[in-house]
Amino acid sequence: MTSQTLQKVDHSALKTNQIMIISLNILAFILNLPVLAAFVALVMGIGSALKVPGFGIVYKNLLKPRGWMKPDVLDDNPEPHRFSQILGFVFMSAGSLALFLGATALGWGLVWLVVALAALNAFGGFCVGCAVYYWLARFQLRGFTKQPPAGTFPGMKPRAGARV
Amino acid sequence: MSSDIPLRFILAIVIIGLGAAAYWLVNHRLLMRAKHNIFTLFKKLPNKPVIVYFTTPDCVPCKTVQRPALDKVRTLLGEKLQVIEIDAFERPDLAKRWGVMSVPTTFLLDARGEARYVNNGVARAEKLIEQIQAL
Repeated sequence: MTSQTLQKVDHSALKTNQIMIISLNILAFILNLPVLAAFVALVMGIGSALKVPGFGIVYKNLLKPRGWMKPDVLDDNPEPHRFSQILGFVFMSAGSLALFLGATALGWGLVWLVVALAALNAFGGFCVGCAVYYWLARFQLRGFTKQPPAGTFPGMKPRAGARV
Repeated sequence: MSSDIPLRFILAIVIIGLGAAAYWLVNHRLLMRAKHNIFTLFKKLPNKPVIVYFTTPDCVPCKTVQRPALDKVRTLLGEKLQVIEIDAFERPDLAKRWGVMSVPTTFLLDARGEARYVNNGVARAEKLIEQIQAL
């Protein structure tokens, strides 16, 4: 494993994003509101474009200032998390499109897939999109340059005080 | 908005429940297999908690995360704990009998030899210590 510069990544912002995605998507399913699923896709898309967690704004402006959620800042690579959000955005967009086109089983299937992957990340500490990123980096694909923090399994949440 | 909200709510609960149940069932099945195969490892129970650690020589997270975590636990608990390391390549029979699907996998057995916890994938030292304390 080569030496690389890690950045400070607040995992509380990522977790807030995941929990918002899970909650809103389940609500969209219960209320049968494809437009809400499309809203989630839109926020994820905007987050991807701005290189921030889409619903991180909820953490930044509401949860963190009121002390409802404490920062969990770890030495990590932000790029795999961004890639993961882009993947989520693609699945959510495809799911929303399918719902608007009347392919409800496919549409809600894709939405539930995003829910499952976000839940695995939020509650299991394993980011599938990040694991895919590191896997692509192993093949030296252009744009995929980062390696997992030392001592961290690709896709797993780094330990506090991970070595740079 | 449709009028079938209660039905969709129940469906959402069922989907979430099925996910949780599938996870629980996989772990329960592994623990049952471990329970039935305990004497493939011991002739006599060691009368102290045991961690059964399945690994392979080419398993990177085993080297970088799992082994240091186990070393830390061993240092902290010393003689109060036994760690049994099994190379799944050398002993595919044991890996199969214990139902190991990936490495690293760690089983925690209590002093009576009862398999109480299974960790599929890396388990940090803090988690292992918590599990040992709960035995």
